Amino acid sequence: MALTTEPTKLPLHEEHLRKGARMGDFGGWLVPLFYTSIMEEHTAVRTQAGIFDISHMGEFIVEGPGALAYLEKNLPRRITPMKFSQAIYMPLVNDRGGMVDDIIVYRMQEQKFLIIVNAGNIEKDFAWFKARVTQGVTLTNLSDEMGLLALQGPLSQTILLECFGAFYKDLRRFHYKDFEGGVIARTGYTGEDGYEIMVPKAKLKQVWDVLFRVGAKHGLLPIGFGARDTLRLEAAMPLYGHELTDEITPLEADLEWAIDLTKDEFPGSAILKKQKQTGIQKKRAGFEMTERGIPRQGFEIQKNGKATGAVTSGSFIPTTGKNIGMAYVTASEAKTGNAIDVMVRGKPVKAVIVPLPFYKRR
Amino acid sequence: MNFPENLRYTKTHEWIAVQGAKAKVGVTEYAQKEISDVVFVELPKAGQAVQQAKMAAVVESVKAAFDIYAPVSGKITDANKALEANPGLINQSPYADGWIFELEISNPAEVNTLMTAAQYHEAVQQAPKH
Repeated sequence: MALTTEPTKLPLHEEHLRKGARMGDFGGWLVPLFYTSIMEEHTAVRTQAGIFDISHMGEFIVEGPGALAYLEKNLPRRITPMKFSQAIYMPLVNDRGGMVDDIIVYRMQEQKFLIIVNAGNIEKDFAWFKARVTQGVTLTNLSDEMGLLALQGPLSQTILLECFGAFYKDLRRFHYKDFEGGVIARTGYTGEDGYEIMVPKAKLKQVWDVLFRVGAKHGLLPIGFGARDTLRLEAAMPLYGHELTDEITPLEADLEWAIDLTKDEFPGSAILKKQKQTGIQKKRAGFEMTERGIPRQGFEIQKNGKATGAVTSGSFIPTTGKNIGMAYVTASEAKTGNAIDVMVRGKPVKAVIVPLPFYKRR
Repeated sequence: MNFPENLRYTKTHEWIAVQGAKAKVGVTEYAQKEISDVVFVELPKAGQAVQQAKMAAVVESVKAAFDIYAPVSGKITDANKALEANPGLINQSPYADGWIFELEISNPAEVNTLMTAAQYHEAVQQAPKH
């Protein structure tokens, strides 16, 4: 039986329509794809600033006297050394060494943590955490109560301080401060400087309005999910369902920096340690098209007429005009400068492996 | 939105301008707005045979690829090479500089199966709004 469900609207749905957004489905959510154009919005974030409504994302709270021990046992990075103002990124690893999701963990108190997860994985992740809950651990899903906005771009600090004051001036990358019943964290998914602002849904519109009122003179634009994807691709940030899946390990995904194989056992750790010793068969790599053609997810990669991998993300990049992509390729073919073919609608189109990221801010 | 009276239209948003035995083909203003910024066009080759309602070219935006169908059957006689260097012509000038290919019509009766401007206008107005 096929049950069609209406996509869920964002809390600021009407605001997006008012700003002229073209709405579209993203994993069951009705989100702004673009307001004016992906090209313009991508450029605005690279040169000025943009706001993203990412309220679809999920938020969990883990607390109680057993919270720290519970996370230490189940997460692939050390949690104990985290400071109360700190946030860290990591994959959530399954028992087979694959990735359930990628998450950001915020330490709020000695025994209280906020976890931000991908929208499409809220139920799966919550079940994963719930199944592992031990005594003295309370797990709460706040996803329906919280809204999340991202302010990104070189002018984001100027705008943020003008909106919310000098209290946020010394906020460092991957740190956060309390804000209006939520947090402001210096994090993002664009490769630019920026902030993610989490507040209860009821306060979301107020924050959105203040940011635009102050940001207008700095060229602040609302940014849709189209540019969010080209920005994160250019910054080589992996996206769940593309570069990250339950079948791909953090080592294959080039996320060894985001796990700690020296810590005590965590789900999948034995498999990952073994893979670290024996070596990976396939690897995430970046490539650039050298002939005309845009790579898209699922396109086969060939070397000398033989399949050697597949594209996971690909796009035209507005600021550089290049056609780039990320792919999993046989580890031995992942070397910079290696000439490959991307099969675009059945025809080989030349490309070359390039180092990641494609873009790094100055 | 502008849908010139002298063109015929498909339900997949191509237009065709018939001039004797030949015809030029492009996408409508509605389509270029839906696709948004066109960043890549794959053109058919002269001499290639195309069938009505079958893929003849590809237009890509930043996010996705869109198949362009031949409004009628025929043989490709020319393609708009200017689109390779400047695919944005499809957005800027969908009915003139943004034409995609030209073909020689093999079955003129097929033209009569296509929509008039008024019919297409109506079809577009009934399309689901986002």
